[in-house]
Amino acid sequence: MILLTIPEFIGRFHPILVHLPIGILLLGCLFQLLTINPKFVFLRDSIPVICLFGALAAVFSSGSGYLLSESGDYDGDLVDLHFWMGISVSIIAVLLYLMYRKGVKELFLNLTSAGLVILITLTGHYGGSLTHGSDYMTAALKGESSKVAIPPVADVQKAIAYTHLVQPLLQNRCYSCHGSEKQKGKLRMDNISFMLKGGEDGSSLIPGRANESELIKRMLLPITNDDHMPPKEKPQLTAEEIQLLQWWINEGATADKKVADLKQTAEIKPVLMSFQTGAAVTKKKVVSDIPEEEVGKADPAAIEQLKKAGVVVIPVLSNSNYLSASFVTAKADPEVLKLLDALKKQLIWVNLSNSSITDQGMADVAKLQNLRRINLSHTAVTDKGLALLKGLPKLQVINLVGTKVTSPGIIAQLKGLKELQHLYLYQTGVEQKDQAKLKSSFNKVSLDFGNYTLPFLAQDTTEVK
Amino acid sequence: MTRDELNAYRLVKEANEIQAGAHTRRHFLKESAMGLGALAMGALFGGCSFGAKGNNPVLYDAAHPLLPKSPPFLGKAKSVIYLHMAGAPSQLELFDFKPELMKMDGQDCPPSLLAGKKFAFITGVPKMLGPQAKFAQHGQSRAWVSDNMPHFSTMTDEVSFLKAVTTDQFNHAPAQLLMHTGSARLGRPSIGSWATYGLGTENQNLPGFVVLTSGGSFPDAGKSIWGSGFLPSVYQGVQCRSEGDPVLFIKDPHGMSRDLRKASIDAINASNLEEYATYNDPEIQSRVAQYEMAYRMQISAPEVMDINNEPQYIHDMYGTQPGKACFANNVLLARKLVEKGVRFVQLFDWGWDAHGDGPANSLNIGLKNKCRSTDKPITALLLDLKQRGMLEDTLVVWGGEFGRTPMMENRNGVQNPYNGRDHHTEAFTMWMAGGGIKKGYTHGETDEIGYSALSGKVDPFDIQATILNQLGFDHEQFTFPFQGRPFRLTDVAGKVIRDIVA
Repeated sequence: MILLTIPEFIGRFHPILVHLPIGILLLGCLFQLLTINPKFVFLRDSIPVICLFGALAAVFSSGSGYLLSESGDYDGDLVDLHFWMGISVSIIAVLLYLMYRKGVKELFLNLTSAGLVILITLTGHYGGSLTHGSDYMTAALKGESSKVAIPPVADVQKAIAYTHLVQPLLQNRCYSCHGSEKQKGKLRMDNISFMLKGGEDGSSLIPGRANESELIKRMLLPITNDDHMPPKEKPQLTAEEIQLLQWWINEGATADKKVADLKQTAEIKPVLMSFQTGAAVTKKKVVSDIPEEEVGKADPAAIEQLKKAGVVVIPVLSNSNYLSASFVTAKADPEVLKLLDALKKQLIWVNLSNSSITDQGMADVAKLQNLRRINLSHTAVTDKGLALLKGLPKLQVINLVGTKVTSPGIIAQLKGLKELQHLYLYQTGVEQKDQAKLKSSFNKVSLDFGNYTLPFLAQDTTEVK
Repeated sequence: MTRDELNAYRLVKEANEIQAGAHTRRHFLKESAMGLGALAMGALFGGCSFGAKGNNPVLYDAAHPLLPKSPPFLGKAKSVIYLHMAGAPSQLELFDFKPELMKMDGQDCPPSLLAGKKFAFITGVPKMLGPQAKFAQHGQSRAWVSDNMPHFSTMTDEVSFLKAVTTDQFNHAPAQLLMHTGSARLGRPSIGSWATYGLGTENQNLPGFVVLTSGGSFPDAGKSIWGSGFLPSVYQGVQCRSEGDPVLFIKDPHGMSRDLRKASIDAINASNLEEYATYNDPEIQSRVAQYEMAYRMQISAPEVMDINNEPQYIHDMYGTQPGKACFANNVLLARKLVEKGVRFVQLFDWGWDAHGDGPANSLNIGLKNKCRSTDKPITALLLDLKQRGMLEDTLVVWGGEFGRTPMMENRNGVQNPYNGRDHHTEAFTMWMAGGGIKKGYTHGETDEIGYSALSGKVDPFDIQATILNQLGFDHEQFTFPFQGRPFRLTDVAGKVIRDIVA
């Protein structure tokens, strides 16, 4: 096995080795052209030896290049072109050295050197195109940033799913290694049939079964995994782009169907919309669990004081400056609540369940401008305290279980919270008749009034004999 | 040698021996220059990870081993309630509806299902056994649940079913160990230990990892399935009881006042801390911390563990029997403990081993009674967590250690007197709910007789990886250094079941 892979191993040195002939030969040619000016004639003696080293380096890198091309990852016209030009560079370099040995006329040496410079430049360019993709240079000129993989379409419903969305995505994220010029792992992706055929690990696409398709499986692996695709140093696909691919595969991985002709779930609709022109502005704001904007470190002295009072204050995840606070073993006394002020930017989750907080104490909570989740269950907080939450626009989850809050209070105080997702209202002052009104006032929020009961069944208390 | 000289000699010898005994490796390194050099080198090379990527052991503070810590990723779940039905419930009588199996009822098992297979008890050619329950589809998710679980069948839209769980152990103890510790052999830490090691616990007056058992017997694998293995011993599960004192010997003995108790614990701790000053052994600090927690627990545990304070409608909902040791009481306790900030609550309910060798072990009697004693409490738990806003960050897991065969068990080649099934490793059902798990979803399917997994196959490592993922850990990075290498719960396997993650 190992013997078989040695040529491929040597071949992989090609991308390093090529830099030697390029550097050395260009230097030799440059010296030769400089000697046209009598001031630089002293360089003349060094040129033959430079050419010799350059020629040797060119032969070695051509050889390694040949081995690399045999590995099967590369194919196509560009490889052939690069291959023959590389051979030509080697031959001309050897010839140039021999010309020095024979002592031909300066004019021939100058012309050959100039020609070699052009040939090396072109060979190098094609080689680069093989490694980075043929549009590597032009993409930068066209101003296409690597951040957007799918050029926005005018009307996403009229677009052809594969041609206008999937293919551009694959082209920008996959083709440079799995395209017509290069087929890493023997996989080619520039055509649906190639993807169905797959590579070394079998088919990369199972129409109708996205999550079993190698293509998706690899993308969903943690980025630290060696099998993750695209490789971790390359630009990654966004969550929406992966969702698009999953949807396209689940809908049969068709080549010519329009988006409108494929089944669209509620989940995929906003994703598809995000690929439409101008969507960046109208794109549904993704409400994340923690704020995206950075925040400074909280004052460690303040955290220490809170901890002394029994409050559990920890970052929501390690390496984050955003904090959560839990009063599960602490008293929510006024002097303790006052300490929260020092953390008003960092605190995003606060659990005051079963604590002694009152409506007065809520004034301190109201200062926590980034608060996302608050649990006030089984506390003495009433509508009056609720009023103080009004100024916390980021609130997503409010737990009011077992408090005296009422339906009018909730509607008046919490209606303006745009990002609210969950409101827990079990055992509150909300009466059964108010529930419908609350539901219509908070139609985008999931409301839970609780009071679930289970029927008494004979079999709950009897045994089968 | 005179008598005095002999005594003096003995004294000096004893003193030398004591000193030599106290001369640990630590002192040796400290006092020898060579040792310092070696230490420095160790520190220099410590930064190099030879091939192992990203092994960042969680910082372990021996003096405060249970202080809450942040996960490396944003976990959806803060706590876990793991309901283990010890003995392995039959998926074919609960969730995996197989009408084709009904048609084969009573026929000889086809040889293709037996060739090259090993079973715990089946020998020769057993008969096929059709489903011993009536099935119907429930909820918007149209999931199949049998009439053995009339209450739970209303909850299908809250849970994610795993229909194609597999394992490679067909005996109870190794299979339970594999499910809970990631190894069929003894000595590895359990999931709950890993969770408390990684996250600590919010309430310092209660253990971080509580174990409650019911069904009249311990699980076959014994206490090892909630052991801490090579993790510091403070992370092992603390077994509590729902009958009598929640923890044995939690009350001060007669004549011992609270102040006296405090004074004696302070004295023990002071002498332990002196030892620590001499030896610097972190386990001594853990011991001090545990004494202090035990003292605090004397106040807090009886209060939390007392279900009598719960209102009647909650008792009705869970079907509890206060004063008795039963599964329903344990389930209600689990909710109360999680509410108070306990990280991991592990319930074991024994008696699901329906072989058919007796009425209590049969599909038509024993299994039905097990379902009757658990169906309502489990349903009540999900509903109660939901209405309290706790289901969002509490992960509930239900399952056994393996599944049961589509064949009727014929122990030693003789048909068992009651309808029963043998242990089966190739496909069984588990479910998860809450804590960032998809609602109303079914992952995986089995063949038409429920013998083997067709798609969505997962194993115990995948389940462990998923639980850790919901708590905010990448199971491949969450390690503990032991015997010269970093250890993981999932060892070298496991993939997060992304399909059931919301």
